Amino acid sequence: MRAVIVTGSAGGMGRAIVGRLQRRGLRVAGFDRTASPEADHSEIIDLTDPAGTAAAVSRASAALGPIDGFVSAAGHYVSTPFTDVTDADAALMLDVHLGAFFRVSQALLPGMMERKTGSIVAVASELAVGGGERDSHYAAAKGAVLGAVRSLAAEVAPAGIRVNGVAPGPTDTPMLPADSPWREPNYLRDLPTRALASPDDVARCVEFLICSGAFTTGETLHPNSGAVI
Amino acid sequence: MSHHHTSPGDRRIALVTGAAGGLGTAQVEALSDAGMQVVAHARMPSERLDALTRRAGAIPAVRDLSDPEAARSLVQDAVRTAGRLDVLVANHATMSMSALADADPGEWWRVVRTNLLGTFALTQEAVRAMRAHGDGGRIIIISSEWGVIGWPNASAYAASKAGLISLVKCLGRELAPEGILVNAIAPGVIDTPQLQVDADDAGVDLQEMHERYADGIPLGRVGRATEIAEAVQFLADPALAAMAGQTLQINGGSTRGRV
Repeated sequence: MRAVIVTGSAGGMGRAIVGRLQRRGLRVAGFDRTASPEADHSEIIDLTDPAGTAAAVSRASAALGPIDGFVSAAGHYVSTPFTDVTDADAALMLDVHLGAFFRVSQALLPGMMERKTGSIVAVASELAVGGGERDSHYAAAKGAVLGAVRSLAAEVAPAGIRVNGVAPGPTDTPMLPADSPWREPNYLRDLPTRALASPDDVARCVEFLICSGAFTTGETLHPNSGAVI
Repeated sequence: MSHHHTSPGDRRIALVTGAAGGLGTAQVEALSDAGMQVVAHARMPSERLDALTRRAGAIPAVRDLSDPEAARSLVQDAVRTAGRLDVLVANHATMSMSALADADPGEWWRVVRTNLLGTFALTQEAVRAMRAHGDGGRIIIISSEWGVIGWPNASAYAASKAGLISLVKCLGRELAPEGILVNAIAPGVIDTPQLQVDADDAGVDLQEMHERYADGIPLGRVGRATEIAEAVQFLADPALAAMAGQTLQINGGSTRGRV
């Protein structure tokens, strides 16, 4: 494998992922709403736009050559009481997580199938596994991604393509505001490791699944500080 | 928290049990490649163990882990010889197949004693050794796909391996606060000398055995020992600090079960 697309590449987690993959000799196309200065090729796009996403995948392939890796790390988090979640809120949440995973994977899979190689990693969340109050639409979208990961893994394994998930716990990135309940001492005291996951913890898991893990597919890694065991 | 750093220049010390088997040999080599001094345990002396320890610069240690006291003395001697312990890989296992109706209770307990109680004793001693230096540690317990999904005629083995997953969940919670991170790996079918044993049991040749297993694996092949060893190396890394109490299922996509 020589080239990978990472979505959410301008964020805290995404940058750590880009760095780790580059250190393993991969060229990275970064997809985000803002520029990804560290990436070898940067696309400023809205992943909820199907045509724009397909065009960005084509440009990335033209720039970097065959793309056999995809890390879906773009995220959108809003905490909302269940009864306040509107249809539009739920649809947007699903589109950003599940829709973007489908669209980029679908654009890349024909090439991967032809070359009989590929590794796809979706970054989900421990909330997809453990749930959380006021997190219903976010957890549902991330849970949907994990279901898609397991199913796509079974579907494309015969072609030598692997599909896995990473479900981080609360991670110390700028997406987690200073007043987040996950930064409160009471929460951290109850966490088995007593600390948030770092972007590098998540990036190491992605690196393992993209660069190693040749017999690992349909699986999800859980760098969640022991929040969900 | 500064739990997981030895001072620069210090070599981390790892103990791998069942090191003469297919999985264990690859694990010793992977940890050795990662710069660790490895103590390689086997049930009995063998040319295979000698060759491995020479190749990987590992320290051999021979014990029968069906005796929990032997498991304790294995860790104690490893610490005495190597100076400390940073990583334990509890990889040894014994297996015997029998329909439940025909299962001999003595044989059932021998399997559970070796796989589960042996690992309990190893882990208890390892935690004492890791607490002695206060830098935390990594404990990696090799479970099995059968411990997740169960398997006909493998009740003792599967129960012992499922017990290990539960042990890992408890110890993940119990020990993470002091920087000792405990995780499991549940391998599916891996290309080791065990496959020849399975082939002999089934009355087919090795090639046929490979094909039978591969039929049930989405990736279309059995795994390689190195593909488990690289996961051991990944979990043993002191820089991976957010993984605790988890089970990595590495099986080519074959599992339709839950941890």
